Amino acid sequence: MLITRLIAVRLVMALLTLLLVSLLIFSVLEILPGDVATRILGRDATPETIAMLRERMHLGDAALVRYGRWLVGAVQGDFGTSLVSGRSVSDILGQRVVNTVYLSIYAFLVYLPLATLPALLQAVRRDGPIDHALSVLTLVLLSVPDFLLGTLLLLTFVLAVPILPAMSTVDQTSGWLEYLRAMTLPALTLAIVMAVYAVRMLRDNLIEVLDADYIRMAELRGVPARRVVWRHALPNALVPTLNVTALNLAYLVGGVVVVEKVFSYPGFGSLLVDSLQLRDFPVIEAAVLIAATVYIAANFLADVGAIMFNPRLRSS
Amino acid sequence: MALLDGVANKKGFWSWIARTPLSLRIGALILIVHVVLAATGPFWIPYGFSQMGTGLPLSPASLSHPFGVDQLGRDVFSRVMYGGHIVLLMSLSGTALGLIAGSLVGLWSGYVGGIIDNLVQRFLEVLISIPFLVMALLAMVAAGPELSGDPLLVVFVVAFVYAPRIARMARTAAVEIATRDFVTIARLRGETSWSVVRRELLPNATGVLLVEFALRAGYAPVLIGSLGFLGFGLRPPTPEWGLMISENRSLLLIAPATVLGPGLALASLVVGLNLFTEGLARILGRTVKLGGQQ
Amino acid sequence: MTMLVEVHDLTLSYRSGSSLARVLHGVTFHIDRGEVLGLVGESGCGKSTVGLALLGYCFNSAVIERGRVLFHGQDLLTLGRAGLDRLRGDRIGFVPQNPTTALNPSMRVGLQICEALILHGRNRHMADAGRRAAELFDLVGLPRPGEILKRYPHELSGGQQQRVCIALAIACDPDLIVLDEPTTGLDVTTQEQIIALLVDLRARLGTSMLYVTHDLGLLAQIADRIGVMYAGNLVEVAPSRTLFAGPRHPYTQGLIGSLPRIDDPEGTALRPLRGLLLRQELPPGCPFSPRCDHAVAGCAQHRQGLEPVATGHEVACQRWRELGKQPPGRSAAGKRAKRPAGAAPLLCIDGLSIAYGVGRGLLGRFFPRRQLVVVNDLSLEIGRGETFALVGESGSGKSTVARAISGLLPPISGTISLDGATLALSVKARSSDQRRAIQYIFQNPDASLNPRAKVGTILGRPLRMFGGSARGKTGEAIAAALADVRLEGTYQHRYPDELSGGERQRVAIARALIAGPVLLLCDEILSALDVSVQANIIELLRKLRSERDVAMLFISHDLSVVRTLADRVGVLFGGVLLESGPVEEIFRPPYHPYTLSLLEAVPHIETERRRKGPGPAVAGESTAGARCVYAGRCRWQLGEKCVKEPPPWQRSGKGLAIRCHIPIDELKRIAAPAAVTVITGVVP
Repeated sequence: MLITRLIAVRLVMALLTLLLVSLLIFSVLEILPGDVATRILGRDATPETIAMLRERMHLGDAALVRYGRWLVGAVQGDFGTSLVSGRSVSDILGQRVVNTVYLSIYAFLVYLPLATLPALLQAVRRDGPIDHALSVLTLVLLSVPDFLLGTLLLLTFVLAVPILPAMSTVDQTSGWLEYLRAMTLPALTLAIVMAVYAVRMLRDNLIEVLDADYIRMAELRGVPARRVVWRHALPNALVPTLNVTALNLAYLVGGVVVVEKVFSYPGFGSLLVDSLQLRDFPVIEAAVLIAATVYIAANFLADVGAIMFNPRLRSS
Repeated sequence: MALLDGVANKKGFWSWIARTPLSLRIGALILIVHVVLAATGPFWIPYGFSQMGTGLPLSPASLSHPFGVDQLGRDVFSRVMYGGHIVLLMSLSGTALGLIAGSLVGLWSGYVGGIIDNLVQRFLEVLISIPFLVMALLAMVAAGPELSGDPLLVVFVVAFVYAPRIARMARTAAVEIATRDFVTIARLRGETSWSVVRRELLPNATGVLLVEFALRAGYAPVLIGSLGFLGFGLRPPTPEWGLMISENRSLLLIAPATVLGPGLALASLVVGLNLFTEGLARILGRTVKLGGQQ
Repeated sequence: MTMLVEVHDLTLSYRSGSSLARVLHGVTFHIDRGEVLGLVGESGCGKSTVGLALLGYCFNSAVIERGRVLFHGQDLLTLGRAGLDRLRGDRIGFVPQNPTTALNPSMRVGLQICEALILHGRNRHMADAGRRAAELFDLVGLPRPGEILKRYPHELSGGQQQRVCIALAIACDPDLIVLDEPTTGLDVTTQEQIIALLVDLRARLGTSMLYVTHDLGLLAQIADRIGVMYAGNLVEVAPSRTLFAGPRHPYTQGLIGSLPRIDDPEGTALRPLRGLLLRQELPPGCPFSPRCDHAVAGCAQHRQGLEPVATGHEVACQRWRELGKQPPGRSAAGKRAKRPAGAAPLLCIDGLSIAYGVGRGLLGRFFPRRQLVVVNDLSLEIGRGETFALVGESGSGKSTVARAISGLLPPISGTISLDGATLALSVKARSSDQRRAIQYIFQNPDASLNPRAKVGTILGRPLRMFGGSARGKTGEAIAAALADVRLEGTYQHRYPDELSGGERQRVAIARALIAGPVLLLCDEILSALDVSVQANIIELLRKLRSERDVAMLFISHDLSVVRTLADRVGVLFGGVLLESGPVEEIFRPPYHPYTLSLLEAVPHIETERRRKGPGPAVAGESTAGARCVYAGRCRWQLGEKCVKEPPPWQRSGKGLAIRCHIPIDELKRIAAPAAVTVITGVVP
């Protein structure tokens, strides 16, 4: 009862945030002072082309009317047509989003062992040489920007293991093996960036739990060390783990923008960068809205997870 | 905080240094090297940062060109050294701007509470809901083509992206501090909310804000670099490191040094900042989540 | 008698950085079979470390320099983890200080007990273990054991959680139970119930116990022998009655002299310990010598181990022969002059009701939240210069009353007037002069002083705001204020974390006084402090009160302190005043049934009020919706009448007023025999 209510409240909040985000995106691009058409075409544009664009985007209408029209369309999956190619935005996005979803799943599968195993090792061997070495390693990796990391991985693999392609180009005709080859390096890059972040947080969380009063009490009741870790410590470290994973999902949305660009992978991120460069406003709006939706959904899921796994809320 | 006391008297300075965490000392050392190179670099670099024909284009690393020569025949080492002060200045000023705006809003909103706080929180949440880099890119584009490549715009965008995240942090701190009894005493005395924020909250939030500043400053070079890498940051021929990595990436296999050079500069700066942040956090007895992706 | 535990020359240090800090210094003692040994000392004296060592547990940073801990002749310090796992929880049980953090939050409490039972081979099947767990819960007095088994720790109250911990400790019928401050985090009445339970269990199971606590008075009820620790040294060991009657070590004498006593004749001064325990500056010899009144030059130089004084009585003092027995005498403080009756009261509270969760502002007007009334129709008066104590268990609304008077928490109805002028309900609407007149002092000085401001700044702010002195004289005024609370003027350049807990509370008091108030709201201002520090602050408050004409609303759960300090007392339960009157009348029959239960919960040293069976049965929760708030928990409830009719105020004629259905004479009768139950012959 309480749980469903809590979740419902969170859901309403998430939807409200999403609505406000859509307003923010739209106003940043189309309502902010200054002429939209000039902002898209630049000052050198001829009056004729500007007039044409104004016509096409219905810039004559009131801002709120345009927002309402856009929002109604967006809810139905219709984001208008691209200013550049004239194709429907949903069409352009469709395949790209699917590609990115594949990439994200791949990245997450690589990420999970990469994140949990070192953290467990560090927590159990706290303050030992392994712990220190991994701490230094994660700190250095953490400081390498993702675009540089991707570039370095590319260099290493292309030189050392030349089975992976430097350019991750795929299209509808590609088979699954081609997909897999194309996705390996970008997925690995994303996985490392996410894992490094997670390892550091998980290690600290695990240690915090291992230091808790109830862990000492379990030891003082004669519970063997192995059982203390697996039965008493780990379940309590689960909620923070969920939290890190949700945060990482949120990172992923931004991370793909850079990483896909590094490997020229035809996903949602590289589409966003291209559209930004071309100032293709309808595509930008749709892409940013999708990114924000994923982010909000990830946080919502983390909240729900925290509620579900919290015994304080579970049974009362 | 007792650890910080030693700074005050000169006699105890070195013994204080010896008691600080190792990460702080190494981090500080790296940062000092970076600052010195950035400050003096423009005066002793062998070639101008946009000087062409300094050597055979695409030559790999050598003694006269430690980071090789790029496509246009420019010495990459000179460019990297010259770029140092640009990266440092922009990162620090952007972060500082974001810190000032964010902490003021956050502390005040957290202390005042009620409906105002609720509205501020909703607004911050909306701003935070758009991923970091996407928000920065969006802001760059929204500024219009005339301003693109302007260093000031980049600084403002960094501040704009950081401010809501710092504000949320400051607000949490303020809410926690506001429940303590000394704040209640100040309220009972009839202090104004500005006075409470300034006298009671701010001094107690400095630890949080200091760590937050160091953490964010550590990610700012990456953010600026990412913008440059994607072609939305500073304009060529500015020797910004991310931009250089992007420019020279096609030469990766022929002259790797032209990518590794600026990469090393960027990564070492961030390692230094991160180490420093971690050490600082340890002195102040806080845990910090390095990475700054959020 | 045979020895169950023998601790021999246990010396232990903690590693901090590259240096070692000595925590235990040659601690030697034994526990016989079936015996309860109490270990008492101020915080940080190493008593908990001793307790954990009895389970073979040391913290990671601990270095055992020498010594043995023998249990059944087996040295626990050299026993491996596997061997310890067999003993812990099976032969040796442990009851922690804080039950809230000691139970695994994600495991049902029943499962935690079953785990122990199965691990130690008491039961093979979950179902059997469950039945046994239910029996154990029943044994420790948990209502509806079957249901509680399925609960998570957070669904239980603090007292219930501690009962679960005790059940865990006795699950496998151990030979020894180590109790580490098991009642410190609990309410007075809950504390009393837990002690009664322990005494009862001990009588039934015959288990040996090591009872670690900072509360000497409490040990009078449960311990056969008492060991006194100071800075990692055991300074005195004696049978409890001997210890209270004739303490030989100056530290023990000081500790006993610091205890405020409830049965004390009016107004005798406490004899607190002087000085502070400075861990960095301990002399090579007797650790107590810097604070000892009887120390001679040799004391600080030569170490003194325990020496037998009499059978079973050992003391570590070089001068015990010369000093002889020093009964913890007290100097007379002189009686307080009675206030002239009939003078206009300073503070007048009329019909005060306070609720939490009141919707405020715009949103609150449209969506009123459910109100939780915490104080109901409270009226009281405090005279000029008078000390009015408000007592009651936690949650009774005592602090809420103080918050309402200060204007922090506007009440939903009622009026508060000071000096005849009605005060605005919210502090924002009060004048500067009104804010100055009422000053608040909080329980915990760590939280009430801004850690980033120097003492001078902390004191200077109220001075400037209330215009107490000209700008140039601020420094002098601050020095004077510090002198008032017996602190040196140089303290104004220090930060709060450079002060001890007692000094911090003095600064908090100085901050309140510097404003020049007529009324101090003292909200549990002693409960965060160590016993000897408490005594110092009590003496300070008494002096300040006679120097200045300042009234106090003194909120406390500690009746002994109230007895030594208050002029008048109000007893609060469930937000309702149940009894009020002059302090001497409150502590003399007739009592309100609730006051009586509070008094019974106070540990008495002199009377050695030991209990045989379980303590007075508490009938459980208060009856919801009853007209008397105490109905349902009252032992002498008159039946339906107490539920249906609001109890009347009955007056005794000596200023005492009791709100109860039971006639005064009847209350007098029931109070007399129950209050002093002296059971002799328990101490062997």
